Amino acid sequence: MADRQDIHAIPGALTLAGDCRVLFGTCGYSYTEWVDSTFYPAGTRTSEMLSFYGYTFSTVELNYTWYQMARAEAVARMVRKAPSHFRFSAKLTRTMTHELADDWREQLKLYREGIAPLGQQLQAVLVQLPPDFDRTLSNRRYLAELLDGLHGLPLAVEFRHASWAVDSVFQELERRKVSLVTVDEPEIGGLFPTLDVVTNPELFYVRFHGRNISGWRSGNMQKKIDYDYSEDELRGWSEEWLGKLVRQAKSGVIYFNNHVRGQAPRNAQRLKKIVGNSSLA
Amino acid sequence: MERSILHFNVADFAVAVERVADITLRSKPLIVAPLGAARAVVYDMSEEAYQCGVRKGMALNLASRLCRGSKVVQPRTDLYRKAMGTFLKRVQSYSPLIEHGLEDGHLFVDLTGTHRLFGPPPDVGWRVRREVRDGLGINPIWTLASNKLVAKVSSRLVKPVGEYIVATGEEQEFLAPLSLSLLPGLQGKELSRLHEFHISTIGQLAELSRSQLMVPFGSRCEFLHQASHGQDNSLVMGGPQQSAPIDHEHLFATDTNDQQEVESIVGNLVSRAAVTLRHRRQVARRIGVWIHYSDGSHVVRQATLKQGSSSDFGLRQLAMLALKRAWIRRTRLRSVRLVCDRLHRQSPQLSLFPETTVKERSQEKVLSAMDTIRARFGHSLINIGGARQTNPAVERLAV
Repeated sequence: MADRQDIHAIPGALTLAGDCRVLFGTCGYSYTEWVDSTFYPAGTRTSEMLSFYGYTFSTVELNYTWYQMARAEAVARMVRKAPSHFRFSAKLTRTMTHELADDWREQLKLYREGIAPLGQQLQAVLVQLPPDFDRTLSNRRYLAELLDGLHGLPLAVEFRHASWAVDSVFQELERRKVSLVTVDEPEIGGLFPTLDVVTNPELFYVRFHGRNISGWRSGNMQKKIDYDYSEDELRGWSEEWLGKLVRQAKSGVIYFNNHVRGQAPRNAQRLKKIVGNSSLA
Repeated sequence: MERSILHFNVADFAVAVERVADITLRSKPLIVAPLGAARAVVYDMSEEAYQCGVRKGMALNLASRLCRGSKVVQPRTDLYRKAMGTFLKRVQSYSPLIEHGLEDGHLFVDLTGTHRLFGPPPDVGWRVRREVRDGLGINPIWTLASNKLVAKVSSRLVKPVGEYIVATGEEQEFLAPLSLSLLPGLQGKELSRLHEFHISTIGQLAELSRSQLMVPFGSRCEFLHQASHGQDNSLVMGGPQQSAPIDHEHLFATDTNDQQEVESIVGNLVSRAAVTLRHRRQVARRIGVWIHYSDGSHVVRQATLKQGSSSDFGLRQLAMLALKRAWIRRTRLRSVRLVCDRLHRQSPQLSLFPETTVKERSQEKVLSAMDTIRARFGHSLINIGGARQTNPAVERLAV
């Protein structure tokens, strides 16, 4: 996995605060809804979506790898459809985060083999931890073992439980050069807060989940992330957080997860435009 | 429009249900087979028993020898049917188009066009699996593809647990390296023939053109060509496989040529088939009776009606006619099988003038009452006089 393509050479990246190059994208790209919402041209088939996506964005976060173990042959087919400069972040499979399997070490090996075809195009492996994964001794041990098992891969960790927001955690992530994911989500007690902490100077990693308070705990994904960020909200976020992040890292990625009704690509483009016209550019 | 078909498959469904009902059965190999019958056959078995060589339909004596230390339990088809109904209820909240068997743990769900309501299909697959696992204690395989054939192949690939998503457009590439034995609908003779041609993978089969396939396989060339390319336009049929013939078989615990016993068993098979027909709102125009003699030979005879029927009484007469035509030797019988086909929808149109006699009307009332009782308490609780109660375990349903 060494010798990755330099993010500075990727078309579509914005250079901010002097020398921090930032890529914008979405969580997933294969949504029929995005044809309805006109992000993809009418009649776009699933097999054509990645090519069309590549015209607008240069990075995507793969979320299907959370539902099923990454399989090398399928990943290789996907890589062949993407432009050579394109970057992929890949979510770690749920059997190592949300539904811990007894043989998770074996799953880890399978995962490494599965994402191997991403090669230099791998941006980061996203370890998204569930809301009930709090900072207990056993969970700390497990996370340490998991990160050891993923050693050598670029990693980003997203916590959902507020108990992980402590300096000792950040220091350990810094020691391991693992990116702490900065989240934008509804202001609900117990959730991990939005922070400007950058634990890996090589890469900051941001995820926008929407601010739908009523839908967040509905149990229905369509309601949970059904949110359309307004221009003011995105400008406000950019002014409050982005400046602090870009000054601490050489590069960064920003993904929108609010895919319902094509809001994610629309919001990602909107934020990119706002940032491109701001004083950071 | 691209389709999204989810396939759920509970491996060894009867075993899974038994293990939910009795957790002590989880720690040992399990065989589900009728107890106390001299020639009982295996109804279902756990993965551990399967690994020992036990197979469905195998004689229980042999199965017990192959898997020593296994626990044998009596089949409870009514319980499996009930569990299937609960499973179905969970899935029904995501799509109205569900194709399912009665008690086999298989479901095809058409999610095409539901993304605005429920989100991406992989998320629905994962959610249903989680709900079923948490609510029922059984852990179904779920697979997602653009058609039933590919979804089914992928579930065979991950059996006994797991999930598989085949992206639309990647069907052929997905199938190419796989063994031909994974392709559904391929007949045994066709498989042997392909092996004679040194064709062992689906990809090798896909390389042959329709005209090349036509020489050895005739009219089946179209199916073989389409299936090997991952193409399947068959629809997800709502309800339990509406178009399939109704097929029941009874294996005698001891070979017999007792006419009364055979006739009562056939009567019972007719009764079960008639219940299914009425449930599907269908009528059958033909009944076939298959007799397997103890010396290995078999005879098939059929009887047809001009107008279809779903009445126990009408179908019973037809079945007895077919049985009379088939049963021409004095050799004892090993098994008897009854197949109802040429199925049609029951006309909802009432006739202007009553065509049924008083006797027929009273028979309809009796059947209606029996159906109500059976739906609530199980099929075995009530029967028509002369139809001997069969052991559900030795009777195989192959709808």
